[in-house]
Amino acid sequence: MYQRAGGIVTPLITALFAFVVGGLVVVATTGKNPLSTYRAIFDGTGLNWLFPWVSGVARHDAALNLQQTLLVMAPLMLTGLAVAFAFRCGLFNIGGQGQYTVGTVVAVQTGIWFASMPKPAHILIAIVLATLAGAVWAGIAGVLRATVGAHEVITTIMLNWIALWVASYLVGFGGPLQDKRFGAVNPNTPDIVASAKLPVFWGDPQLQGLHIGFFIALAALVVFWIVLSRTTLGYEVRAVGFNAEAARYSGINVPRSYFLAMAISGAFAGLAGAIDLLGWEFHLDLTVVQSSQIGFFGIAVALLGRNSAVGVFFASLVFAALLNGTSARALDPSIFDPQLAGNLTRIIQGLVVLFVGADLLVVYLWQARRKLGLVGRDGLEPGKEPAAS
Amino acid sequence: MLSVVLAALALTMFAGASFGMVGAPTVRKAAQVTYKMAVITDVGGLNDHGFNQAANAGRLQVEKKLGFQTRVYDTRTSAERLPNLQAAAQAGYQLVFGTGFFMGDPLDKVAPKFPDVKFAGIDVNYNTDLPSKPANVRGIQFKEQEAGYLVGYMAGLVLKQQPGPDIASAIGANTVPAIVRYFGGYRAGVKKADPKATVILSYANDPTFSDQAKCKEVALNQISQKTQIIFAVAGGCGLGALDQAKAQGLWGIGVDSDQLYLGPEMLTSALKDVAKAVYLTSQEFKKSPANFKTGFNKVFNVKNGGIGYGKVSAKLKNRAAIIKKVNAIKKLIAAGKIVPPAK
Repeated sequence: MYQRAGGIVTPLITALFAFVVGGLVVVATTGKNPLSTYRAIFDGTGLNWLFPWVSGVARHDAALNLQQTLLVMAPLMLTGLAVAFAFRCGLFNIGGQGQYTVGTVVAVQTGIWFASMPKPAHILIAIVLATLAGAVWAGIAGVLRATVGAHEVITTIMLNWIALWVASYLVGFGGPLQDKRFGAVNPNTPDIVASAKLPVFWGDPQLQGLHIGFFIALAALVVFWIVLSRTTLGYEVRAVGFNAEAARYSGINVPRSYFLAMAISGAFAGLAGAIDLLGWEFHLDLTVVQSSQIGFFGIAVALLGRNSAVGVFFASLVFAALLNGTSARALDPSIFDPQLAGNLTRIIQGLVVLFVGADLLVVYLWQARRKLGLVGRDGLEPGKEPAAS
Repeated sequence: MLSVVLAALALTMFAGASFGMVGAPTVRKAAQVTYKMAVITDVGGLNDHGFNQAANAGRLQVEKKLGFQTRVYDTRTSAERLPNLQAAAQAGYQLVFGTGFFMGDPLDKVAPKFPDVKFAGIDVNYNTDLPSKPANVRGIQFKEQEAGYLVGYMAGLVLKQQPGPDIASAIGANTVPAIVRYFGGYRAGVKKADPKATVILSYANDPTFSDQAKCKEVALNQISQKTQIIFAVAGGCGLGALDQAKAQGLWGIGVDSDQLYLGPEMLTSALKDVAKAVYLTSQEFKKSPANFKTGFNKVFNVKNGGIGYGKVSAKLKNRAAIIKKVNAIKKLIAAGKIVPPAK
C-alpha cells in the first residue's frame, strides 16, 4: 500500500514542488501573477485542445500547439526509455544524446540512399538501421562495462562527444554528407527523399505536422514494459539491477545483461533520432547536431517517470509540454520576457532533477507525517524506500 | 509537516498572485500603429553577441524610430524554427525576418502558405537556399569583401607607418562563403595600401564558431610568422585569437559588430550591420508595402550602409589621417570605382 502510494506520490510531489518554486521564480523576476503565466504556458502546450468548450480560432491554434507538443514528446519518450531501461539494470546511460545523434546520422543517410524503394520498405529500413546504430553505439559502452568494467557513466559521456564531433564533421563545411548541390554551401545535408518521410496524420505535412513516429514511440513503451516484465531477459536485467552479486550467485550471466541492457537502451535512443529525422527534420544541420538536448532531457524524463513505462509516458508529456509551452510564441513578450520564458523550462527541469535526486527527503517528509500524528501507523513500514515499479 | 510546507508555498504563490494583480500590465500601444514586424531569431539566443542580437537590436530601432509594432520570437531548438515563423505570420505580422541561413528551409515551407505576408531571410540566399522559390521571400546578403577591403586597407597603412615586418594576417573559423569573401577583400585591401606586404590567411576549422582554443592556436602560429595585425573572422572562436594578439602587443581587428569594447589594442572592426539591414528593409516596407519587392536577393554594401568599418582605436598614431584615407577608399567603393574581390 505504502510502496504503491510512494511510487506515484513522490513524482507528483516532486513535480508540484518544482512548479511551485518555478512560480516563485516568476513572481521574483517579473512581479506578475504566476498563475496567469502558467495559464499562458498551458495554452501554449495546446492541451486545451482536449477541452470541448475551446472552439473556433482558439481550437485551431490549440491543435497546432498540441501537434508541436506531441512532436517533441515522441523522441522524449524514447530517450526517456533509453535511460530508464539501463537504470533498471543498475546502469546509468548518460549517452542518450550520442546514441540519438548516431541514429539521426544513419537515418539521414539511409533516407537519401535507396531513393527508388517503395515507401513502407524505405521507412522500415531507415528506422531499423538507425535503431541498430544507436544499439551499437551504446553497446560499445555495454561491452566495455561487461568485459573490463569501465564505468558506463564515463564511457557514454565520451561516446557522446565522439558522436557529436563525428556528426559535426560529416554534415559540416566540406564534410562528406554536406549538401553541395545547386551551389549550396550551408553546413547541412540534403533532404531525405519523399519515400523515406513518415506519413503525417494530424496537421499540415508541409508545416511540421504530427507524424506517425508518435505511435512508434507509444509502441516502444509497450515493448519496454513487455521486455522488462514478461521476458526472461527482462527478469535477468531487473535482477542484476537490484543486486548484481546476488544475480551472479543465482546463475545469471551479469556481463551479458549489462551488454544487452545498454544495447537495448541505445536502440530506443537511436529510434528517437530516426523518427525525429524522418518525421519532421528531413535533413541534419550543424546546429541540430551541436545544440540538440533531447538525449539529456531523457535523463530527467526517466527520473521523473521513475523508470517505468507509464511514468515515462507522463514525464515526457510534462517535459514536452513545458518545452513547447514556454516557447516565445506562447508567451506575450510584453508580459513575459522571451529570454526568461526559455529559462523557466530549464529552471523547472533543474528543480525536478534536484527534487527527484532528493526523493529520500520526500520519503522522509512522508514518514514524518506519522510522527506529527497526521496519519495512523497502519500500513507504514518505516525505513523502506519505495521501489521503482 | 509536508502539508504545512505546501500550504505555506501555496500561500506565498497566491500572495504573489495578488501582487501581480496590482501591477497588472496595461497594454502598451503606440499612438498610431500601422505596421507590424517580427524577427525570428535562430538557435543561439538573444545575447549571442552576434547575429541574433544584432537582428533584435535592429527590431528595437524599427519599433522606436519607424513606429512599427514589433515582436521577437526567440528560437531555442531547431524544432521551433518553423512553428515560430508560422506563428508570426499567423499573428498578423506583415513583415517577418528570419535570421541565419538555417532559416532558409523553414522559410521555403512557410512562406508559400502565407502569400500576403512578406518574409526576409538574413544571410539566406534566395537563389540557393530556397528550392521552391517562394515569391514573397527576399534574401538578404552582404558584400563582406567590402568590409574586409576597408579594414585591410587600414591595416596596410598601419603596417607602412610602424616599424617591423610588413605582415598582416587573418583567421577564419571555416570556409563559409562570408568568410571567404572577407578574406578576399582583406588581402586586396592590405596590398592596395602596402604593395610590399605579405598577407597570411588561415582557417581554424571550427564548425561551431565558438572554440576559442582553436583560433588561439592558429594565432600563435601566425605570430611565429611575424604577423603584426590579426583580423579574426571567426565569431566567438576569434576572441581567442584577439586575446592572443593583445597579449603579444599586436593589433587585432574585430568582425561583424563593433568589437572595440575588447580594448584599445583593437585597431577597428569590419562591420556587417545586420541591425541596419533590418532597419533599412523595414523602412523600405513602410514606404510602400504594396511595392515591397520580394523574390530576389537584396545585397547590402558600403553604398547603402549595411557594410562598413567600426570605431578606430584611440591608441593609433596618425589616427585622423588614416581615417581620412580609409574614408576616401570607402567613397571609391561606394561609387563603384573599386571593386573588392570576393575571394
